Amino acid sequence: MKFSHLADTFAMMENTTKRLELTQHLVKLFKKTPPEVISHVTYLLQGKLRPNYEGVELGVADKIALKAISKSAGIPLKRIEKEYQESGDLGHAASKILQQKTQTTFLVEPITVERMYDTLFKVAKLRGSRSQDMKMKYISSLLNDASPTEARFILKIITSTLRLGIADNTIMDSLAIAFTTSKENRPELERAYNVSSDLGSVAEAIAKKGLTGITDFQVSIFKPVRPMLAERVKSPQEAQEKMGKEFAAEYKLDGERVQIHLEGDKVLLYSRSLEDITSYYPDIVERVTKSLKVKKAILEAEAVAINEDSGEFLPFQELMHRRRKYKIAKAVSQYPITINFFDILYVDGKDCLDMSYNDRRKKLEEIIQEDQFARLVPMTIAKTENDVEDFLENSINAGCEGLMLKMIDAPYRAGARGNSWLKLKREYRNELGDSLDLVVIGAFFGKGRRTGRYGTLLLATYNDEEDVFPSICKVGTGFTDENLDQFYQILSNKVKLKKSSRVKSEMEADVWFEPELVIEIVASEITLSPIHNTALNVIRKGSGLALRFPKFTGKIRLEKNPENASTVQEVISLYNGQKKAIHDEHKTERT
Amino acid sequence: MVFLAKTSTSDEWKAVISAISTLVEEATFESTVEGITFRGMDPSHVALIDISWPNSAFEKYECDSDIKFGVRIDEFSKLIKRAEKNDSIEISISEDNMLLVSVGKNKKYKMRLIESSASDTPLPKITYDAKIALVSTEFDKILGDVQVVSDYLSISASSTKASFSGRGDSGEVLITLEKGMEEIPEISVKQDSTATYSLEYLNPIVKAVGNTTGTVICEYSTAKPLRIEFKVANIGRIYFYLAPRVES
Repeated sequence: MKFSHLADTFAMMENTTKRLELTQHLVKLFKKTPPEVISHVTYLLQGKLRPNYEGVELGVADKIALKAISKSAGIPLKRIEKEYQESGDLGHAASKILQQKTQTTFLVEPITVERMYDTLFKVAKLRGSRSQDMKMKYISSLLNDASPTEARFILKIITSTLRLGIADNTIMDSLAIAFTTSKENRPELERAYNVSSDLGSVAEAIAKKGLTGITDFQVSIFKPVRPMLAERVKSPQEAQEKMGKEFAAEYKLDGERVQIHLEGDKVLLYSRSLEDITSYYPDIVERVTKSLKVKKAILEAEAVAINEDSGEFLPFQELMHRRRKYKIAKAVSQYPITINFFDILYVDGKDCLDMSYNDRRKKLEEIIQEDQFARLVPMTIAKTENDVEDFLENSINAGCEGLMLKMIDAPYRAGARGNSWLKLKREYRNELGDSLDLVVIGAFFGKGRRTGRYGTLLLATYNDEEDVFPSICKVGTGFTDENLDQFYQILSNKVKLKKSSRVKSEMEADVWFEPELVIEIVASEITLSPIHNTALNVIRKGSGLALRFPKFTGKIRLEKNPENASTVQEVISLYNGQKKAIHDEHKTERT
Repeated sequence: MVFLAKTSTSDEWKAVISAISTLVEEATFESTVEGITFRGMDPSHVALIDISWPNSAFEKYECDSDIKFGVRIDEFSKLIKRAEKNDSIEISISEDNMLLVSVGKNKKYKMRLIESSASDTPLPKITYDAKIALVSTEFDKILGDVQVVSDYLSISASSTKASFSGRGDSGEVLITLEKGMEEIPEISVKQDSTATYSLEYLNPIVKAVGNTTGTVICEYSTAKPLRIEFKVANIGRIYFYLAPRVES
């Protein structure tokens, strides 16, 4: 299939934000796509090359992309950098520059989706000293044969800045319409996606065999299952109201959620966002099989750092020392962990997703031999608000974040956030009542003691409808010296020449970052703001929402994607809740 | 299948490999009864090398059927660099499909071959209006002179002179060679011609092959590709084709 079909569809999708139209464009595209390449097309739509868990990283640095454009166009790098600065979008810059191309070539080969995908795959796999140069050459060879529209999207794809405004759901809707004629069948697709985490395979199966193709999808070892998620509640009372008369309450440990797949001696670990994190936890790999009475299973657990002498749980950020490529062995001995099981998704050939929470928990208790290292997450059956309060108190005394509350007869709903799981966090001593997970989008250089590091960070929420990151506050308090070093270490690699197209901010930061890093923030209240872009024009025309007195809690949420950050909707509902509280206060004062 | 090709020194292979290495990472050679050929285009499709190495140029050459063999240029290059100037090089292909390379009297290498992926590269069909023969050291100097101010070389030729110029942000340069000067043994022009080429491609190939050849022959037409012929002792000829830059 010609890549131009894909590029033309992308171009049309960029011109609309209406979901119906986006879906129609996708349906047309899928119908035109041969089944052999539909998985490639699907991954490209998702902005990737392979499912997350395979760890194939597409990202090409801006610098390399600029060089490739320069080489293909035969136009000096400086002029291209200038064009990029002006338009703010590498894709547009490329298409504009290539229209002025002066270097002729001997041969133009039309770009097919297959060629595009194969080239990008090669680029992603390149390692070693000369790899940057080779990447540049591969990209340049594509650009040589590209029309300006194709060039624009090639650049957007390789620099991970393709924003079509679609989520996985829209892709699934479109697949359902294209191959089963009805959107009604989306739940079937969703089920297949949730158990395989691989939308490309789902697309291929439905394109080749229709609905029967995807009913074959089963939970299988070494393919991560999309995790079940929990709604947030503010108080034991709210929890009790939503849960009903009898429900399970588990400690919410402050660690990293790990999905453990094992068969015989082979063990693989996946993060909450389905990345392969096996290499960070050699101790789990080594010890987990000894704690289990079964040979083949998929389990969910929380890896938590502990103080080996006292047995106390340590906060999440201690785990961060594990996130490294080298000297893992040293990190393992310096920062010991325990592994705390809380769910089972598959055991000895049997899919457990449709079993009730109760049955899954029983199964888990049956197969795990608890020891110093491997444990079950403490659980109790709660009936009243008081039960919840007591257990919450205990969990916080034990160094946990709060509680997870689960309906005892509910199945495991992979990939879904629903009311059958709730999370209740400890209350912070701030009026907002809850912390927010915000994305670092920019920074200002520090002065005085903070010279040479970032003194203040610019933060954003996530707008999940438009897939952008609007700013919400600057934060400069709550940092330790160590934090400042860490931030600089992590962020200085992510500096962009130009504000990312996904970042919405009126501020002039000293440096901009690709939205990646998520940190936890508390604040005293949410106020209307003329500067920040979160919920712009939602509450009042011309105003957005900002945080007042924001403070970093010390938690860098490395396990979270920027897309898992607090959403604009969450901030709006916090704002409305706070208004209600103030309103009530006034009323009391008056009476 | 019989295949064996022996050169009396290592210079020939060194020249061939360094020429090819300016364009591609992997190379597929073709051997026939007539000799060895190579043709390859750089990934950007801007430059092309066409080498023909006739059987008569080898000290010993045997080949009874057409064969293709692919090598990674960096691997082959490292190996050939182990040869002294006067070491003979003999290549053949083993039964387990490895490249056997005998260097000098007593060194025998066995190197992996790669799957030859090269599709047939067609040669550009062009007629040339201008032909200039240049002393290769002089050509190298001109490129260096132009590089100071520009990334591109413009060549203009008329029946009496050839001029080489370049222009960049910092300034410009003009170098003129009149017919009859010893740097320019030949100039023949059907029609006055001017064209511009990227130094990014010209410099490496002239550096790589220029010093093994006395003169180079440049042929081109206005705004059309350039063909440079390098005559290298005991190889036959190396053609280098370069697509022009055109101002939009």
